[in-house]
Amino acid sequence: MTVEVMVGNKAAATGAKLSRVQVAVAFPVTPQTTIVEYLNEFITKGEMDCEFINVEGELSAQVVVQAASRIGARTFCCTSGPGCLYMHHPMHDTSSLRLPVVMAVVHRGNKGMQPDHTDLMSHIMTGWIQWYVENNQEVLDSIIMAYRVAEDMRVRIPIAVGYDGYILSYTAEPVDVPEQEEVDDFLPPYKPTPSLMPEDFDPKAPLWWRVPWEEHHKVIVDAKEVIKEVNEEFGKRFGRSYGNGLVEEYRCEDAEAVIVAMGTIASTARDAIDNLKAEGKPIGLVKLKCLVPFPYEDFQRIGSEVRAIGMIDRNVCLGVGGVGHTFIRNAIYDLEERPKVLGFHAGLAGKEVKVSDIERMAEKVLKAARGESVSPLVEWV
Amino acid sequence: MIEIRFHGRGGQGAVTASRLIAEAVAKEGKYAQAIPMYGTERRGAPVTAYVRIDYRPIRRRDLVHEPDIVIVIDPILSRKPSVAAGLKSGGLLLLNYPTPPEEVEIGGDFMVSTVDATTIALETLGRPITNTAVLGAFSRVTGITKLKSLEEAILKRFPGEIGKRNVEALRRAYEEVHLPKPAKGPLRPREEEPPHVTGYGVLKSVADWRVFRPVVDLEKCVGCRLCWIYCPETAISLVDEKPIIDYDKCKGCGICVHECPVKAIEFVRESV
Repeated sequence: MTVEVMVGNKAAATGAKLSRVQVAVAFPVTPQTTIVEYLNEFITKGEMDCEFINVEGELSAQVVVQAASRIGARTFCCTSGPGCLYMHHPMHDTSSLRLPVVMAVVHRGNKGMQPDHTDLMSHIMTGWIQWYVENNQEVLDSIIMAYRVAEDMRVRIPIAVGYDGYILSYTAEPVDVPEQEEVDDFLPPYKPTPSLMPEDFDPKAPLWWRVPWEEHHKVIVDAKEVIKEVNEEFGKRFGRSYGNGLVEEYRCEDAEAVIVAMGTIASTARDAIDNLKAEGKPIGLVKLKCLVPFPYEDFQRIGSEVRAIGMIDRNVCLGVGGVGHTFIRNAIYDLEERPKVLGFHAGLAGKEVKVSDIERMAEKVLKAARGESVSPLVEWV
Repeated sequence: MIEIRFHGRGGQGAVTASRLIAEAVAKEGKYAQAIPMYGTERRGAPVTAYVRIDYRPIRRRDLVHEPDIVIVIDPILSRKPSVAAGLKSGGLLLLNYPTPPEEVEIGGDFMVSTVDATTIALETLGRPITNTAVLGAFSRVTGITKLKSLEEAILKRFPGEIGKRNVEALRRAYEEVHLPKPAKGPLRPREEEPPHVTGYGVLKSVADWRVFRPVVDLEKCVGCRLCWIYCPETAISLVDEKPIIDYDKCKGCGICVHECPVKAIEFVRESV
């Protein structure tokens, strides 16, 4: 293990390199562009045995990773904002064909250059597992874990690892880079099912075609157990894990209220929680890492332990509301005693979210937990 | 936690400087975050970068609003009081500035230190890329990172001759920096003038983007109009078939100097 100061995009490219990705396909788009540059640097220097395929756009990028994945290559794709939206149609097929593609999505909002989660969240119905990560270490680790989950025979579903553009993509910080041998032990080579390679192709075997809706949904829901397993094993081998792989509870012991945040807002929120705890306030943080499949069970348990939950959404489903807010309310509906669930929209279009912003949101959630009246309206921060 | 804000211009290496500090302190076992603030900046435009340094992992992801240290690697931005906006009481303002701190016009309840990084960079690197020189001054004045760690970080990033020259710039600045003095100048930062936005486009002056100023020798000029055609900023107009430069529009790119077939345009270093 060596420590290297690297930007988020280099962490993503390094994760792909350590995962021994064989085919990488991407079209450059800000703020993802430097992943493409780092990958090509690794390949040119001979550090990575990988075919990088240049394409004319993201729709092709997604179709080419499908083909490569189907014949048995471990494939990597990366994109941002409008590029991510442009590949929407073939993303459905990647999941329907149960191809274990891993893609880094460097968040860039749908209304401009700056980050929010609206790009990847526009793909909630594509059948991709979606992770939202908070720092460069988690970017690298999650790419490696994503291959292990995606290629598990119980899953075989593509995974998107999302991280905030600019805030992480160009910010440099120390990252522990695991040794290649350690990663090789953790991540065995990928075998396609069924194989289309001439030497082991069975013409009589049924071709793996689009999986029907009900089965497709169930496979993704059941992937939660595999994600937990892989996260736990990663922790044992590398000394780092991320909650239970789906959510991470930070200082939630004796909490009467929690705030829930995703991506880099969760990182900033840790400082806010420490400040409030120092004042003796009973509040904790839940980092929501895995949005799809949604960890309903975790939120039902958390919902039965606290009196109020405040969800900070770096997104809005226009005309509906915050995605996390809506899902959490759905999760707790069947509880006998439901906590209050307050919603906040923060950090859209790259708007800066300060520690003090999160403290203020947390105070409102604490007020609700004490039974004081607060406005039920979702707040734009 | 120590928080630093850099001001510079695209091309001078403020972003690289922030990363070199992060790499140097990481070698010393500390944690760091180097945050560039990207918009649509490009070579010559004022840019900002931030560094956080701590003994434990750094989690907050907002920008630095109240820095302990402000470092200005551009000599002309160093004249703007707004660079000291938000600087903590007792903090340090480290300027690329040709004269000792006593002659700096910016004042407040902080210390000011100066180094003539542009001259050092021109003499060691041959171009006004001032970041590594300013880092030498930073190491000496703050002691936050050792000179050796910075040297290693520079040589790793720039192997070969370029790295060696940058290390030379670093060492010279380490020796030549003027140590901090209380900032007693008459000019105070105005909060309404954000330091990272100093004007862009035809409505505002971009005069302070320049390091060099093109000066036309009208006697030598043959009136070929090539400078007028090539100027990307339409800063040149023709009066009696001869070029007149509007210095509020000129960013000092030097294209006119390069294109002039009779060498009638001289590129003169801006005085600070």
